[in-house]
Amino acid sequence: MPAGNNTVNFELKRIRLVLSIMLGLLLLLGGMLFSLQVSRGSEFEESLHRQSMRRVRLPAPRGRILDRNMVALAENQPCYCLAFYLEEIRKPGKWAKSVAEVQRRIGELTILVGRKPVITEDDIWLHIRRRLPLPLVAWRSLDPAALARLAEARCDMTGIDIYVEPTRAYPKNDLAAHVLGYVGKADLSDDEAAGYQYTLPEMEGKMGLERKFDAVMAGEAGGRLVRIDASGFKHAEQVEQEPRAGASIVLALDSRIQALAETAIRDVPGAVVVLDPGNGDVLAVASSPSFNPNQFVPIVPKALWEELNADPQRPMLNKAVAEVYAPGSIFKPVTALAALNSGAVSAGMTVNCPGYYMIGSKPMKCWNPNGHGPVDLRRAIEQSCNVYFATIGVKCGNDAISDLASLFGLGAKTGIELDREAPGLVPTPEWKKKDWHDNWRIGDTCNFSIGQGALSVTPLQMAVLAATLANGGTVYRPRLVTGLRDWQGNTLTNYPVVKVRELPLAPSVMQAVRQGMHDVVMAPTGTGGRARIPGVEMAGKTGTAEYGQKEDRKKHGWMIVFAPFDKPRYAVAMVVDDAVSGGLTVGPRVRELMLGIFGGVPAAETGAGG
Amino acid sequence: MSGFLSNLRLLRRMNWLMLAAIIGLIVIGVFFIYSATLMREDSTADLFRKQILWAVAGLGCYLVTAMTDYRRLRDVSWGFYAMGLILLVAVLFFGTRIYGAKRWLMFLGVGVQPSEIGKLAVIILGACLLSPPAEKYDRLFPMWRLFALAGVPMLLVMKEPDLGSALVFLPLVTAMLFVSGAPARPLVRLMAGGVLVVILVLSAVALPERLGMTPEHQETFFRTIRLSDYQRERIEVFLHPGKDPMGSGWNKRQSEIAVGSGGLTGKGFLNGTQNILGFLPRTVAPTDFIFSVIAEETGFAGALTVLLLYGVLVICGLYAAMVARDKMGRVLCVGIVTMIFTHAFVNMAMTIGVLPVVGIPLPLVSYGGTFMVITLFSLGLIQSVYVRRPGL
Repeated sequence: MPAGNNTVNFELKRIRLVLSIMLGLLLLLGGMLFSLQVSRGSEFEESLHRQSMRRVRLPAPRGRILDRNMVALAENQPCYCLAFYLEEIRKPGKWAKSVAEVQRRIGELTILVGRKPVITEDDIWLHIRRRLPLPLVAWRSLDPAALARLAEARCDMTGIDIYVEPTRAYPKNDLAAHVLGYVGKADLSDDEAAGYQYTLPEMEGKMGLERKFDAVMAGEAGGRLVRIDASGFKHAEQVEQEPRAGASIVLALDSRIQALAETAIRDVPGAVVVLDPGNGDVLAVASSPSFNPNQFVPIVPKALWEELNADPQRPMLNKAVAEVYAPGSIFKPVTALAALNSGAVSAGMTVNCPGYYMIGSKPMKCWNPNGHGPVDLRRAIEQSCNVYFATIGVKCGNDAISDLASLFGLGAKTGIELDREAPGLVPTPEWKKKDWHDNWRIGDTCNFSIGQGALSVTPLQMAVLAATLANGGTVYRPRLVTGLRDWQGNTLTNYPVVKVRELPLAPSVMQAVRQGMHDVVMAPTGTGGRARIPGVEMAGKTGTAEYGQKEDRKKHGWMIVFAPFDKPRYAVAMVVDDAVSGGLTVGPRVRELMLGIFGGVPAAETGAGG
Repeated sequence: MSGFLSNLRLLRRMNWLMLAAIIGLIVIGVFFIYSATLMREDSTADLFRKQILWAVAGLGCYLVTAMTDYRRLRDVSWGFYAMGLILLVAVLFFGTRIYGAKRWLMFLGVGVQPSEIGKLAVIILGACLLSPPAEKYDRLFPMWRLFALAGVPMLLVMKEPDLGSALVFLPLVTAMLFVSGAPARPLVRLMAGGVLVVILVLSAVALPERLGMTPEHQETFFRTIRLSDYQRERIEVFLHPGKDPMGSGWNKRQSEIAVGSGGLTGKGFLNGTQNILGFLPRTVAPTDFIFSVIAEETGFAGALTVLLLYGVLVICGLYAAMVARDKMGRVLCVGIVTMIFTHAFVNMAMTIGVLPVVGIPLPLVSYGGTFMVITLFSLGLIQSVYVRRPGL
């Protein structure tokens, strides 16, 4: 033995001490177990009784989307589901017996409902394991005929009931689809689901205002307590906390004008925006082609989604705010205002148009190859003479034009409450240096003056431009959502009109340009004459801008108008892909729209323009 | 060959009672893992089959270890310790993150918790260092050095972070030093110091005003001692059971209800409502909270049975220490018994709500493949000591 016996004995003593400590601790634990399980058992009986309560998260009714006249554009509609209440049709013994019973009942009902059930045996098992106290939905969205047949039927209806689930509906189908967006099934975060044993399907905005205002419209989920019996079936239930309905949002949109706007471009890719020049209210935002958000609820069908995304005309894109175009001649009023305001040009000054403008040794063509002859400002706008605008643009310089364009809000987002708004671009020498590594040339100024080149704008920005010209120089931020209402329709919030700025322009300058725009529509020779409607004096400007490869000769047609001329109530910007010219292609469509707005012919009865 | 045969013959001297207790615990574990995973739809539904396979592999490992002479550990103790450290460092870099902590290393689809290997390595190294082979050498290996050697893996485990597992190192080393004859007073002081620190931390969480701490002081204090938010939360839940019963207090409260509602004889196998209905979180029911499943379904009777089986294990293990032929055997057995006891005690105490929730499994019972193998390997070492006891 290496160590003495004493040492070993000492160590053995200590091992015995360790042993007694451990056994003592185990005894203590046993005592505590006894007290917890046997002495205090009844305390936990009560807890367990409380445990037989399950909390079900109840989604709150989602707020609606209303137009300015409180017409519902998005609302909740009941969806009738046929559901089994398993607590009433369970069979004693093995679970498989109950499952077989449910399947038998489903088989019986298939004829009455007239549709194959959406659930399989596996789904029933899953339901039993996971959501036993909740009804098992076998068929969703039953049609009225099936409901009638079920009501008449004489078969055993115990444990079967019609169960109503709210679904999102867009009563006007594709009306303002890009504005509204759509909802989909929500993914609850862990935080949201915490404390609930079960959740019901909830909606969540996936696009457009549905997404932007999701937090406002979603409301607050409530809870329902379900008492269950020992084997997990529902025994009783009570609402513990009512869900709080979400707020409804009220739009400035006028669904009548919106429908007219959509009709005006329904057969061509393009966009229309109608604003109230007095306050920036967005009366209509249309983008074509469109889609029907009802088809997206509750889940976007995969085939439809792929088809929509593969479409070269991009139906999911809101062209009114998310697409940029070269404005072409509708930009000329800006050039004119900049030139007049700089003092370099007067309204009475005439320029001779021989049909081309020489940039150095290269001629830039006017759209009229014969030339317009001598033109003053008013005539130049009416005739949209390129030579005149190139001349005054060079006279006042590109900086004056780009400064004014920026004041009109070009090159920046307007801040409208819509997805993916594009800022567009106002070209400057600094920009060209930075992005193209090239110097600004006189040709750039000429292109810029007539709305060509790198200048790009959204239809919404052009509508703001039209509205600003209409009201004499006040830039308003487009207001799409005017306020929030609670469930009873009481006002919660009103969003104010936002005046962005007053343009620093002399009234005489503005007056001269407005006169030219008046002639565009009202003069017999004006380029926008096709937009004229009886009884209303309008002003406007047409534009045609080439896009894509030069040899394709593809053109966007533009037109902006405001009316009535003296006290404008509507400012419109419309763009159409693949146009012959703004005057020829867009003019008649604007006419159709304005006729409808001013109460000429209801939109549904007018034929396609052009 | 004759060596193998004589080793095999040695196995006849094995402590059969201890083996019976081991198998008893494993069988109970398998049954209640089955119960805890009955309602699972995913692949975890056959955890109990995997547990059987692991138990069989572990028992094989146990027999081989029992046959092998534990004194041969002297040659590998440092190597084993180094390997433990390497794994503990590796887990910080390559570990699989589960709920914010990196505690698992994946080898060919099998998860290994290096902290378990680290504990065993410290036990083996400690047993060797505390029992020098040289006959004249009767000065005890310096206490502080052993604490330092245990401190390295302990800090690495804390870093994962796994505070609960790291704290198990302390009783291990203390118990081994104690039975190897270290002076009792510093050990007692150390324990007292540890208890003081725990009380300080607890009161800093619960009653900062009493200590004259402003919330800022409190934050600084927790940062200094590196107490994370979730650890703090668990301590708060432990001290104020009523706080946040739906959130962080959920596991603790549900586990208590499960145990408490078990009564004297339980609700019957597969009939525990807490378990079957998923009030005991399904992810931890077969692992850390297996004891509450047992206590719910078999009541006090079943829980006491488990307790008794651990008692048998502790008695047999420490009896092996007492009859061991040398000091190394004694210290080794004490270390291993302390490790298993600490795990079992802390786990059960946490289940019934007298200790804060920590991620420590119940040895031999909780689901966990490598932990099962490591536990059985350790118990095999005890048998190896026992069968080589002097006499007959």
